[in-house]
Amino acid sequence: RAVPCVSGGLPKPTNISFLSVNMKNVLHWKPPQGLRGVEVTYMVQYFIYGQKKWLSASECTNISRTYCDLSAETSDYEHQYYAKVKAIQETKCSEWVETGRFYPFLETQVGPPEVALTSGEKSISIALTAPEKWKRHPTDDSVPMQQIYSNLRYNVSVYDTKSRRRWSQYITNSTLVLSWLEPSTLYCVHVESFVPGPPRLTLPSQKQCIRTLEDQMSALK
Amino acid sequence: EFRFGPCRVEGVVLSELWEAFSAMKSTVQTQDDITSVRLLKSQVLHNVSDAESCYLVHSLLKFYLNTVFKNYPSKVAKFKISKSFSTLANNFFVIVSKLHPSKDKDMLSISESAHRRFLLFCKAFKQMDTEAALVKAFGEVDILLTWMQNFYHL
Repeated sequence: RAVPCVSGGLPKPTNISFLSVNMKNVLHWKPPQGLRGVEVTYMVQYFIYGQKKWLSASECTNISRTYCDLSAETSDYEHQYYAKVKAIQETKCSEWVETGRFYPFLETQVGPPEVALTSGEKSISIALTAPEKWKRHPTDDSVPMQQIYSNLRYNVSVYDTKSRRRWSQYITNSTLVLSWLEPSTLYCVHVESFVPGPPRLTLPSQKQCIRTLEDQMSALK
Repeated sequence: EFRFGPCRVEGVVLSELWEAFSAMKSTVQTQDDITSVRLLKSQVLHNVSDAESCYLVHSLLKFYLNTVFKNYPSKVAKFKISKSFSTLANNFFVIVSKLHPSKDKDMLSISESAHRRFLLFCKAFKQMDTEAALVKAFGEVDILLTWMQNFYHL
């Protein structure tokens, strides 16, 4: 049971915001300023836009960490949400500090796909596995982000380390064969997911490099 | 190109609308402190058939042009969002001018179904203080664009 506290007795936490990747929606904030060394705990509540009351985040009452995973509470991504946090120290507490309106469907960052490369003599095959939506339980079925965003596409960037040439192309399906490449050449690839709509932060995949095979003709000489 | 059922609208770049609204989003939504009311509820926009979509988008965008945007200029200057505001309003005007919902008798039941959805939105709007309703409707353009995005084909 929340102990009543004197509101405003503490400075407010700062920099509150949602960090959302593949619908894993985590609220972050910074401790109140000027309380170094003072043991402070936090309480988090959230609100569904269009509904009536604030709800307590059961996992984030009297916590000392400065983040709270609200993925379960905000899992209906077509809704919009607010969240707020206050600092508590014994019988004193800060006022609430609140996020702006958070719209997971528009704001979640779509992570990169998994990238598998195989090389041929003058070609490279790129196989992509769609990023997965956050799961409540590890045993839950995986839901590819493509199921949420039917217009999801991938921006494949390729770098030829010999000619130092870079190019990229958008694809919608999960495989791409780069042909007419140079044999015995190292190519580096990274891939970003892209969803048409409002501007979103993107998370590129790790750069991966692969060498095309030796030219068979010169190998025979 | 937008394809709202039989209605086609070319020449509108949806990403420009998104960029315009994104530039205003926090300014506009921060003004709306009646968070317990949502005008574009799921009953208005969920499971809209293609056939209904032309009627509904036509009604909604006309409402935004003739009621929301028309009465918003006083805030536009105050919040310094005129460029984004005019991008949004001009594009809504282009879309509405290119939409020609069918008036055929056999489409009557569909147009009435779309109208009932629109009336749900209007009712919620009229139940609020006008000033607050204008601010809220403007802040919900992201919900409207998200729905419209379903009918957009690159």
